[in-house]
Amino acid sequence: MSTAGEQFLRKAAEKSGDLRHRNLIRHAIDQYSSSVVRGRARFLDWEEARQRSHEIKWEAINHLDRYLLEFEQNVKARGGHVFWAESSADACKYIADLAIARKVRTVVKSKSMVTEEIHLNPALEKIGIEVFETDLGEFIVQLRNEPPYHIVTPAMHLTRADIAALFKERLGNIDTDDPQQLVAAARVALRKAFFSAEMGITGANFLVADSGMIALTSNEGNARLCSSIPRIHVAIAGIEKVIPRADDLAILWPVLATAGTGQPITCYSTLIGGPRGPNEIDGPEEFHVILLDNGRSDLLADPEQREVLNCIRCGACLNVCPVYRTVGGHTYGTTYQGPIGSVLTPHLRGIKEFQHLSSASSLCGACTETCPVKIDLHHHLLHNRRNAVETRSRSWFERMEFKLWRWSMLDSQRFAFLGAMARIGLRTINGLGLAGTVLDPARSWTRDRAPLRVPGKSFRALWEKQGKERNGSN
Amino acid sequence: MDPTENPGRERILARMSQALTVPSAKHPVSGERKLIFAPITDPLDRFQKECMGNNTECVVVADRKASAETIAGIVASLPPGEIFVQDSPGLRVMASAWQAGHTLRWSTEGGPNEASQATITNAEVLVAATGSVLVSAACGGRGASVVAPIHIVVAGIDQLVPDLESAFARQRERGTLSRNSFLCLITGSSRTADIEKILVMGAHGPRRLVVVLSLKREES
Repeated sequence: MSTAGEQFLRKAAEKSGDLRHRNLIRHAIDQYSSSVVRGRARFLDWEEARQRSHEIKWEAINHLDRYLLEFEQNVKARGGHVFWAESSADACKYIADLAIARKVRTVVKSKSMVTEEIHLNPALEKIGIEVFETDLGEFIVQLRNEPPYHIVTPAMHLTRADIAALFKERLGNIDTDDPQQLVAAARVALRKAFFSAEMGITGANFLVADSGMIALTSNEGNARLCSSIPRIHVAIAGIEKVIPRADDLAILWPVLATAGTGQPITCYSTLIGGPRGPNEIDGPEEFHVILLDNGRSDLLADPEQREVLNCIRCGACLNVCPVYRTVGGHTYGTTYQGPIGSVLTPHLRGIKEFQHLSSASSLCGACTETCPVKIDLHHHLLHNRRNAVETRSRSWFERMEFKLWRWSMLDSQRFAFLGAMARIGLRTINGLGLAGTVLDPARSWTRDRAPLRVPGKSFRALWEKQGKERNGSN
Repeated sequence: MDPTENPGRERILARMSQALTVPSAKHPVSGERKLIFAPITDPLDRFQKECMGNNTECVVVADRKASAETIAGIVASLPPGEIFVQDSPGLRVMASAWQAGHTLRWSTEGGPNEASQATITNAEVLVAATGSVLVSAACGGRGASVVAPIHIVVAGIDQLVPDLESAFARQRERGTLSRNSFLCLITGSSRTADIEKILVMGAHGPRRLVVVLSLKREES
């Protein structure tokens, strides 16, 4: 059994060399990028929108207990139930117990990364409940028994031919690769599920404290059907999703949509608070909100990294990340991929097993630059690296290396001396033809790359020589 | 299933309070407030342009009588079957023109059937900045704007607000959020781009969203 880190390296190498995969992802993300350029142009001041979104989330996260209590009180006043889940197991148990008590046989779900995080589907299937993912992308990956490839675009890695073949095999009665007809086939298949399910499960993009409502965004309308037709609606969200006021959505809805897909606003921006009201025509009889901690309060306790909880899961940092674009979503082996996933996962699932993700970054800062709530993502990757080093035992050799490095960096003569030694060493290895072999100490670099060409003179020597020439010509 | 049996609640709250005794390392630097969106000078013009961009069919008519006729034309073009209508006094008056070949089901008789051909409702407000329609549970319920392949919204010019901020302000004034268990800001018709990022209209919700907007200020 290999570690998560070894699996990551193996899959990353495999996917980086898969040109078909890379073309597919490039095509999808190019479409996204041009759409985002148009989307941002609709703002008079996109930077101000980011700043305000950052401030709203900062306010909420730094008074998290107060706003969650306000939210809970308002949901209860509307006749809804609120359950606080400390762990994945707590959350799954609450939903499973509720399903058993209410004799639920079929569940329809809209896209929710939190339900992926807690592995809800297997927990419900284990007690004999049939679960339908109703977001088209999620429906596709569910039919393939795969996790979502991307937090916003779950089936980004598939061509329409792949999807056509899948539908032909699993749905029958359909043999086309026309997207319009494929969507129509999924619609027909899922309609039955919507009208027979006893329970609808959704996530929540925001929990609105002052109104006791959840905000759900959806383009397809599936989240609306999940929360309208079945007699029980369960919404599950991380505790960090709370925002103070409904009016904050006047900024957050357009910002989330623009960062997520480049749309001015998502097609259906819905607010739901409570079950069907006394004078209302339809809606579920019961409304349950599950507030999931699952490691988030530990992150809250870290004043340096607390702002990671500002994340609104728009997926923008995945799209701009050169590592994500090369290795793809499944390589991460985590619920949340890309830069935010690499920052968050060690906190949710343990720094020992997931520290490698912090190094899977070029620290180019594209993620930080694009983040709509201004999370300093690439610096958090650095913080994780530092924390990882502090928690693990380092070999004698590694400690000596860094002692030597420190010793040389504190004195220019020592640095020059070590540089000279390194040049001699490299020339010897290259001269003996050992570059990239097991005898090469720099093998992890040189086995996949051309040997380093060692210049005749050091940078210092060249600088001094050119300095003399510069001075001489003056 | 008693939600009071929740020992985790106290523990989570205690952890959060403990965590927040240490202030965040960073504080947002709040400079001078700048405008995020350009102010909207002509809401009707903007609303129509946005509708064009997001595939909402916006029909502007002179008065409510013309609204009724426009809808009659759309209804006449639909295959026979049931049409779900929000039971409001205004729509009751208009409905006499729509009956031919179709059964009307009023919202007071329950939610829309799965096989409804179209739904006809009012709205809380129209938002010019995004070309959106805000509906609530009071506009025929939750299913009214999502179940049928066509959703027709009947609105008046006095319902048009410039942007989301003013839409929320108006809802707060009227208490819409506390009176309804459901609100939805609808922008265009249902869509998906999950297959190769190709845009397909009519995923799970309506393929067509029609707004019939009367310019005459009348009691609805």
